[in-house]
Amino acid sequence: MRMVGAKVPRVEDRRILTGRGHYVDDLQLPRMLHAAFLRSPIAHGRVTHLDVEAARAAPGVHAVYTGADMRELSKPIRSPLSQGAVPEVYPLVTDTVRFVGDLVAMVVADSRYTAEDAVGMIDVEYADLPVVMDYEAALDPSVPPLFADLDSNVVHTATKESGDVDAAFAAADRIIEVTLSQHRIANVPIETRGLVADYDAGSGELTVHAATQSPQGLRLQLAQTLDQPMDRLRVLTQDVGGAFGLKGNIFREDFCVPIASRQLGRPVKWIEDRNEHLMASGHAREERIAARVAVTEAGDILGLTAALDLDMGAYPGMPFSAASFTGVIALLLPGPYKVRGYRCDTRVVATNKSTYVAYRGPWAMETFTRERLIDMVAAELGLDPAEVRRRNLLEGADEDRLITGPTVRGITTRECLDRALERIDYPAFRTEQEAARAEGRYLGIGMAAFIENAPGPKEMRPGGGFTGGESAKVRLEMDGALTVITAQSPHGQGHETTLAQLAADEMGVPFDSVRVVHGDTRLTPFNIIGTGGSRAATWGSGAVMVSTRKLREKVLAIAAGQLEIDPSDLQIVDGVVSPKGVPGKEIPLARLAGQMTLMPQTAPPGTDPNLMAEERFTGEETTGSGWSGGVHACIVEVDLGTGGVEIKRWVVVEDCGRIINPAIVDGQIRGGVAQGIGSVLYERIPYDSEGTFLAGTFMDYLLPTSAEIPPIEIVHIESPDDDGVGFRGVGEGGMIVAPATLTNAISDALAPFGARVTEQYLPPAEVLRLAGVVGAGAA
Amino acid sequence: MKPAEFEHHAVDSVEEAVGLLTELADDDVKVLAGGQSLVPLLALRLASVGHLVDVNGVTELATIADGDGLAIGATVRHRQVERSPEVAAANPLLAAAVRRIGHAAIRNRGTIGGTVAHADPAAELPAVLTLLDGSVEVRGTGGGRTIAAADLFDGYFTTTLEPEELLTAVHVPALPAGTGWAVQQFSRRSGDYGIVTVLATLALDGDGRISAARVAYAGVDAVPLRSPVAETALVGQTASAELWTAVGHDAAVVLEPASDLNGSAEYRRHLAATLTARALQQASERAGVRA
Repeated sequence: MRMVGAKVPRVEDRRILTGRGHYVDDLQLPRMLHAAFLRSPIAHGRVTHLDVEAARAAPGVHAVYTGADMRELSKPIRSPLSQGAVPEVYPLVTDTVRFVGDLVAMVVADSRYTAEDAVGMIDVEYADLPVVMDYEAALDPSVPPLFADLDSNVVHTATKESGDVDAAFAAADRIIEVTLSQHRIANVPIETRGLVADYDAGSGELTVHAATQSPQGLRLQLAQTLDQPMDRLRVLTQDVGGAFGLKGNIFREDFCVPIASRQLGRPVKWIEDRNEHLMASGHAREERIAARVAVTEAGDILGLTAALDLDMGAYPGMPFSAASFTGVIALLLPGPYKVRGYRCDTRVVATNKSTYVAYRGPWAMETFTRERLIDMVAAELGLDPAEVRRRNLLEGADEDRLITGPTVRGITTRECLDRALERIDYPAFRTEQEAARAEGRYLGIGMAAFIENAPGPKEMRPGGGFTGGESAKVRLEMDGALTVITAQSPHGQGHETTLAQLAADEMGVPFDSVRVVHGDTRLTPFNIIGTGGSRAATWGSGAVMVSTRKLREKVLAIAAGQLEIDPSDLQIVDGVVSPKGVPGKEIPLARLAGQMTLMPQTAPPGTDPNLMAEERFTGEETTGSGWSGGVHACIVEVDLGTGGVEIKRWVVVEDCGRIINPAIVDGQIRGGVAQGIGSVLYERIPYDSEGTFLAGTFMDYLLPTSAEIPPIEIVHIESPDDDGVGFRGVGEGGMIVAPATLTNAISDALAPFGARVTEQYLPPAEVLRLAGVVGAGAA
Repeated sequence: MKPAEFEHHAVDSVEEAVGLLTELADDDVKVLAGGQSLVPLLALRLASVGHLVDVNGVTELATIADGDGLAIGATVRHRQVERSPEVAAANPLLAAAVRRIGHAAIRNRGTIGGTVAHADPAAELPAVLTLLDGSVEVRGTGGGRTIAAADLFDGYFTTTLEPEELLTAVHVPALPAGTGWAVQQFSRRSGDYGIVTVLATLALDGDGRISAARVAYAGVDAVPLRSPVAETALVGQTASAELWTAVGHDAAVVLEPASDLNGSAEYRRHLAATLTARALQQASERAGVRA
């Protein structure tokens, strides 16, 4: 049976759902100590007094580290991939705190309880500095930079221009101007950050067990910053309880804990608590775009200009700084639409907030902006938003390109739109909406389209793109089992299942005899991202496929030699090599592998008895457009009595190419939609004007629960329909397009009130303000 | 999120608990019941205690008695109330209100006495006591006393219990036969505290006129509130949708709620008006006469 395309139950589920997973906090090492941090209670200030002697003297305390200590024990932290102005930063602050939660000191003690007690004994005083809490303050040249070694709080600027902007605007009947903004939210995986560092003074080896998306990326950065030889530095990752981009980052705590282990010669554990997590792990989004759209009365979108500001918080993210995401926003903002002139100016600013981190589709501001703008254009011109989309969408023809350059040959956005509207029965809804309004009930429909280069067309990724493709290792064991070692570092994506499906099909072995191994830098091929950026479907899969093919060739060559037959006349079915159509000459893989391992000298001449393969997949074998994408549509009802929004239907039509496992794809989409709904209706990271952090627990940071998420209807389009490496990433799409879909629906419901929805966060009080039911400031 | 050190005293009787509360009165002592509010506060180090007197093992506090109204022991879990046939028969409003407390896991652990003594202004149980003129029994070293709901809640998270007193039982009157009732709550998510909660009871006479009415709010002030405005305006009137809307509006405009992350005072007043009208409508339907 072919496994690819089947709804194979996840092999991960048995252990995870029965509580037998292994997370970093499950690790208990002999002589292990526990770390806790003293974090800044203020947004911006100089540390004028720091006395840790009482904490150091407390029973059970083994060490207390200050910024001055860390300056001696660490090099400045610098990512090899950073863009823009980068300040000199150490693991703990050396003189200035820059956000609530900033790292002032670390205590290492017998238990976390004792460590927190000792944190409370540290005597610290701060002198307040003026806070930078919004774009205006950050852009104000008279406000001193947060970092003395930077010239400005504007840390990166760039411009992307394509087509003829002036001509496009000159030809327009109308120019629509609006500023759209997306609020600060957070990834909040169920498992917080955490690591156990274990330095062996005898061998000089540092082992770091980490909840990370990128063991290799973490290892590289630790080696550089801690001056630790890479042959004596190993990062291990077992089960990870979600990340959504957060744990692809490397954090200052990640340096502190190994430093302490190296100094003390004992394992040190730090598990972030939820309060620390919400405050200091990192936040996402917070962008605004001042847009101008040039349109004709008929609804043709001629031109678009955008001025994007991104609030990156105080410290640059690592390894990817916020500037890498403004570039993607600028690239994708025009989307699969026929725009003739386009310009995007981007700025990244520093403020006294927690660090900007990637979160599931970090560039999603482009989809929110574009799809909101299209609905605004339709409203302004009195046209149907579906018709405005149809009118402007690219067809996916051979010559079609995004105005920013990449080809979009073969994209199916138009088909996705048509099928989504058909599924939700758009004309019937408009009739129902009309009738409901007459009764004082406010229904709305929203739709939005996105495309994502996961992996993108071939010209965007010469030689395998930014990482040069990806490798995998496969090994045939003596019992005929197949071990697959992936550079991916799954944390909920089910790669132990999907990669095994692919390898089983490629090799011709039963699914159950494939074991996928990940998360050990001694074994896994290098991949700086690990799992992230919707890369696994193409790159992780392709690497496993080409490597397994190589191994299969080796096996067939040996079997062919033994049977004196041409390899092309052999097949491998259910773990048995046999000549096609000739019974009685079967060679079980277990026998072949046992023989080659124990008696490699018996390998037929010219064959390789080492039954392993490691091949690099550079994307040459991919088929299809290279673009993941789709259209979502939803129907809402707004309750003007409460401001509550009920989502009555949610329809997804998506195209991520050939599907490896439909159950996993559906799970990725539903999870992304849930987070998108959370972003619009529930989640917001609040700071007050003084920089005080206001959401220290889940009482204040509202994550949607299953009770808040409606049934999600999913339709798949699999383009192209071939058996090449046509799998495309699907992890981010739901979260990219859901906020635009839902805000458009709420806007449509509130259309009778002339509501102009420009902010993504629409809690009940804001919905009522938009409807004119309560006044400004009600939210 | 690890609490600072404290001493834990598991007690078997009310006398032992009251004795410890008196003995340790100068040494930061608190009562631990279900722990659903206190334990997070301790873990966040927003509160610290020297001693916890754990009353979970006091069996006499864990029963529901049905006689002249309901007498619910302080350590009775919300879930017990929610599932109790006696409660459902005597006071369905109470069962419905308790069902709005948190999620099932919270209700399995949280106690009736704990939520009343904690006196969160958004909590359901204090509002039920206020609505129905319930009371609590407390015990100190000098003996017991009863505190009426109207005299119990004294501000944000504050009651008129003396520090060395233990709340032992909550008295909730039965709903008179034929009385319609409603619990209307709006929260951002299922299981959250209501931003505003409205409780109402209505009795109708044979002509469809309102013979008795009670309306109470949670989440609109430092303590749960009755609405004299609504109650006065309702009695003697004929049930109608217009009446509910008008009473909701009039009752809401005199409220002075605080603003927070979930919305401003103005938003809360709007919610109060909406939910009052909906509660009255629902209560009138349950009273057996359609508006």
